[in-house]
Amino acid sequence: MSTLTIAWITLPFFLGFISYLFPRLDRYLSLGVAIASTSYALLLFAKPPLTLQLLDSFSVTLLIDQLSGFFILTNGLVTAAVILYCWRSGKTAFFYMQTLILHGSVNAVFICADFISLYVALEVIGIAAFLLIAYPRTDRSIWVGLRYLFTSNVAMLFYLVGVALVYQVHHSFAFAGLRAAPPEAIALIVLGLLTKGGIFVSGLWLPLTHSESETPVSALLSGVVVKAGVFPLVRCALLVEEIEPIIRIFGIGTAFLGVTYAVFETDSKRILASSTMSQLGWILVAPTVGGFYALTHGLVKAALFLIMGSLPSRNIKALQQQPIHSAIWIVLVGASLSISGFPLFSGFAAKMLTLNNLTLWQANAMNVAAVGTAIVYAKFIVLPHQNQEQHKNLQPGFWVAMVLLIGGLLVANAVYYEAYTLSNITKAIAIIGAGWLIHYLLQRFAIKLPRVLEQFEHLIGVMSLMLILLFWMVLA
Amino acid sequence: MLLGKGTVLEACVFATVLCGFFGIILKRNLMMKIISMDVMSTGVIAYYVLIASRGGLVTPILANNQNGNYADPVPQAVILTAIVIGFSIQALMLVGVMKLAHDNPTLETSEIEQNNTP
Repeated sequence: MSTLTIAWITLPFFLGFISYLFPRLDRYLSLGVAIASTSYALLLFAKPPLTLQLLDSFSVTLLIDQLSGFFILTNGLVTAAVILYCWRSGKTAFFYMQTLILHGSVNAVFICADFISLYVALEVIGIAAFLLIAYPRTDRSIWVGLRYLFTSNVAMLFYLVGVALVYQVHHSFAFAGLRAAPPEAIALIVLGLLTKGGIFVSGLWLPLTHSESETPVSALLSGVVVKAGVFPLVRCALLVEEIEPIIRIFGIGTAFLGVTYAVFETDSKRILASSTMSQLGWILVAPTVGGFYALTHGLVKAALFLIMGSLPSRNIKALQQQPIHSAIWIVLVGASLSISGFPLFSGFAAKMLTLNNLTLWQANAMNVAAVGTAIVYAKFIVLPHQNQEQHKNLQPGFWVAMVLLIGGLLVANAVYYEAYTLSNITKAIAIIGAGWLIHYLLQRFAIKLPRVLEQFEHLIGVMSLMLILLFWMVLA
Repeated sequence: MLLGKGTVLEACVFATVLCGFFGIILKRNLMMKIISMDVMSTGVIAYYVLIASRGGLVTPILANNQNGNYADPVPQAVILTAIVIGFSIQALMLVGVMKLAHDNPTLETSEIEQNNTP
C-alpha cells in the first residue's frame, strides 16, 4: 500500500511533464491520472488508515484515511469531468499540464500530515492556479490572478512564522504539534489557512477570482482547489481538540457571510462563487463528517459552473428574459436541488449528516443558512426554458461531464442512506419550501451589497484584524 | 536588565516582517508592493535562521575536528525550500506586472483595480 501511495502521488507530476513533451497524449494522460486518483480513493474506503513516515524523524509524514479518501475522490471526479468537458475544445498541452500539476498538489495536501509539506503543496497550488487563471492573458485575468497569488502568498508568510513557532516548541513539524503550541502560533497558522481556503472575511478574494476565471478553471477552483485550504483546518480540528470550537465558529460565520452575498447578487457566476464560501462553512462546522459534504459540494459546484458556461448570459436579469435550452435547464434544476438539500440527491444526505453532528444552537444557525441556500438556488430553478433546435455555445464534452457529476451525486447517496427517514425528508422539504417562499417575496427588491471589502488593499488589511481576532479567540 | 543578543535579533526580525507588511498596505505602486512582500519574506527567512541558531552557531557539517555547538540544520533545510518558492512566485508576479505595465504605465494599484473589476 505504501509503494502504491508513493507511486500515485508522484504520478500527476511525472505525467504532467511527460504530457508537455508529447502534446498529442495530453488529454489521455490527464484523464488517466484522474481515473487513477478516483480508483485510489475508492481503494482507501476498504483499507485501514495508513501512516507513512518517509526517511527519518524530521521528514515528511503522510496520513491517509477515509477523510482523505473523500477529498481525493472529489479531486479525481472533478478533474475527470473538467477534462472531459474540455476534450474537444482545443485546449493546449499547457492547460492540461497545469491541470495535472494542480491535481497532484491538491492530492498532496489531502494526504500530508506536517506543516512543511502542506506549505510546499499549497504554494504549488497557488502557482498552478495563477497560471490557469491568467492563461487568457487579458489585463483582467492577469490582475485577478496576481491579486490571488499576492493574497495567498502573504497569508502563507504569516503561516510560515506560525510554523517556526511550533517548531521551536516541539522540534517537529507534525500537525499534532499544534496542541501545546503558543497562542500566537495557532493564530498565525489558522490565519494562513483561513485566507488560503477562502473562509470568512479573510476569504473575500474568492468571489472575484472564481467568477472571473474561464468556465473549466472556475469549476476546478470551486470544486477542489479551495478545499485544499479547508482540509488542513478539518484535519487539525480533528487532531487537536482545543482549536475545534474556533473552526466551528468560523464555519458558521462563513456560511452566513457567503449566503448573504449570494442572495443579493445578480451575476450568476458570482452567485456560485459566493455560495462556495458558504458551503465551505458547512464543511468546517462538522469536521468529523466534513469529507462527505466536501464530496457532494465539489461535484455539484463543478457541475453548476460548467452549466453556467453554457448559458447565453451571466446576468440573472437577462436570463429571465431569454429562455434557456430545456435539457440544460433540467440538469441545472437537478444540481440546484442537490445543493439545496432536496431528497434523492446526496446533497440531502450530506446536509442531514452535518446537522446531526452539531449542538442545538449550531444546528439552528445552520438551518437558517440552509434556508439561505434554498433562496439562492431558487433563482436558477425559476428561469424560463424552452425546447430549442441546437445550442450554439455548448461544449461537445458537456453532457459526458454532466453524466459523471450528476451520476456521482446520485450514487453518493449510498454513503449515508440512513438519512432517508420521514422526519428528515419533511425537514428538508420545509427548508426548501421556506427558501422558495422568501425568494418569491424578495425578488421585487434589488439591493446591491457594497464590494468595498473585496478591494485588494482591504484584503491584505483584513488579515491583520483577523490575526488579532484569532489571537483573542485562542487565548479565550 | 540587559537584553540578550537573541532578543534584540528577534525584535529586528519581527520589525522587518512588519515593515514589509505595512509596505504592502501603504505603498500605492504595484511594483513597490511586490518589493515589500519580498522584505516581509526576508524577515520570515531570517526568523528561521535565528531559530536554527538557538542551539549553537557552528555550521552543521560532519567533519573530523568537531567542536562547539551545531546550529539546528532542520529549519535551515526547510527554509531553503521556502526561499526557492518565494523567488519563483516573485518572478511570476513580475512577469504579470510587465504585462500590466503596457496599459497601466504608472502601475498604481487602485487604477489597475478600477479598470479590471467588473
